[in-house]
Amino acid sequence: MNFLQLLADLAQANPAVYTQASQRRTMLRQLSQLGGRVAATALPLLAVSTSTAKAGTRENLLDVLQLALTLEYLESDFYRTALGKLARPDGSLVSADFVPASLRADLETLQLHEDQHVAFLQAALENSGVVVPARPRFDFTGSRNGAQAALFPDVFTNFDTFLQVAQTLEDAGVRAYKGQAGFLINDNALLEAAFRIHSVEARHASHIRRLRRLRQTGAAEPIRNWVGPGLSGSPAAPASDAAYVGEDALTQALPNSATVQLEELRIGSDRDRALRSAQEAFDEPLTTAQSTALANIFIY
Amino acid sequence: MSNFLKKEGEEAELTTPLHAPIKRRSFFMYAGATAGATALLLSGCDDDDDETPAAGTVSLGSGDIGVLNYAYALEQLEAAFYAQVIATPYASMPADEMTALTAIAKHEAIHRDFFKAAIPAASRIPALNPDFSSINFSSRDAVLGAAKTFEDLGVAAYNGAGSLLKSPDYLLLAGKIVSVEARHAAYVRDLLDNGSFAGSDVVNANGLDQALPVATVLAAAQKYIKETINGDNVGK
Repeated sequence: MNFLQLLADLAQANPAVYTQASQRRTMLRQLSQLGGRVAATALPLLAVSTSTAKAGTRENLLDVLQLALTLEYLESDFYRTALGKLARPDGSLVSADFVPASLRADLETLQLHEDQHVAFLQAALENSGVVVPARPRFDFTGSRNGAQAALFPDVFTNFDTFLQVAQTLEDAGVRAYKGQAGFLINDNALLEAAFRIHSVEARHASHIRRLRRLRQTGAAEPIRNWVGPGLSGSPAAPASDAAYVGEDALTQALPNSATVQLEELRIGSDRDRALRSAQEAFDEPLTTAQSTALANIFIY
Repeated sequence: MSNFLKKEGEEAELTTPLHAPIKRRSFFMYAGATAGATALLLSGCDDDDDETPAAGTVSLGSGDIGVLNYAYALEQLEAAFYAQVIATPYASMPADEMTALTAIAKHEAIHRDFFKAAIPAASRIPALNPDFSSINFSSRDAVLGAAKTFEDLGVAAYNGAGSLLKSPDYLLLAGKIVSVEARHAAYVRDLLDNGSFAGSDVVNANGLDQALPVATVLAAAQKYIKETINGDNVGK
């Protein structure tokens, strides 16, 4: 029984009754009291709304919240590990001097926000009457605790690698939220919260890119605060490439299958620069499957 | 004027079409060289020559189109601001800041032109006239302070407008743009005060960025726009 799917259908049929968290909670409780075997005929509204729902275009709110929470757990544990607050899979703490003293406050800020996002999403799940998923076990080297070759073996011994992984996680987090927004379109409270978390992740990504730029020496081009080609793309190719697939899109979709071709906008006479700007100007989404696959790189 | 005309590279290209007709290019140079900040049309040089600047009150309209016009108005404002920033750079602007501010100017111009292309002409608001008379473009602090205001306001505007949208396509587009605005905001904030990329003045104790209603955003933006903007029916 997928209660939240049913709720999403209800919301689509009558968004007005679905605007308050308290109402969401009440409806969930009522549905759960039906014993997990709600027949469509028992709730006439469901039969109507389900028949009008677009097949295959909507996922349930629970899935969205759980994916978001997994990503926030991931980021929170990543920064906590780097700051020596959480042990690695082998039980050891990262060296106390791993994070340069001048950057410790920055990482504390990042960790604080991720912890706040974790708490917020946990509360949202609790308010929806579902069991909050436990923190997964993370291995940020990408070796699944030694089960396979590490993708980022020096993530906690080489600060530049750490920043590469941090940028990958933040950029991917931005993309993952973007890909989930459409599933929240009938729940204005959750949608707005997701937007507000999403833009904080983008601020994080921007700052980490700045930190990386300030550490560049003799590079051919500066790392930019926004996603683009070259050094402003995947930071640890090929291991981080999956987080950047499709960021070079130059076509933007509108309703009714209309599109805007960014190449047709007046964006400069130098074609390469123009295309770079067009890529930078829009961050692209990741699908649920892509986001989950990225998270799973670090879960064992 | 000669300095402006001689300027090459990214700044000069910013306002030039990818396949630039001479007329448009020369129009913009004329505008940039002689008219200065206040007379510059927010939308740069329109390719619709019959589109006349608005006067008086501009209504953003209702429903999703109202939200798009709302975004178009804000992107016009940002694009015009950054175009002015790089046309008249503050004293001793470092090369890295010129590079980044030029990039931001391009992003905002693309956003503006994207909305212009996305909104049906019949319901699209016209080109707006900026009023940047309160901004001292020769002062780094003033320019970056204004940039911070515009970027944080833009982020809060999109965050508040997402839930007004009915179309999932428009919702996704808002998401695609707001994160770029947030990247800009973090960049500018770090320039002013390193480490303030997501300061407690914009991110609350739940780790949530600002989300502001249309009326609040327009009240803050109004002083930079000559026309009176009416957003009463946006999203309704």
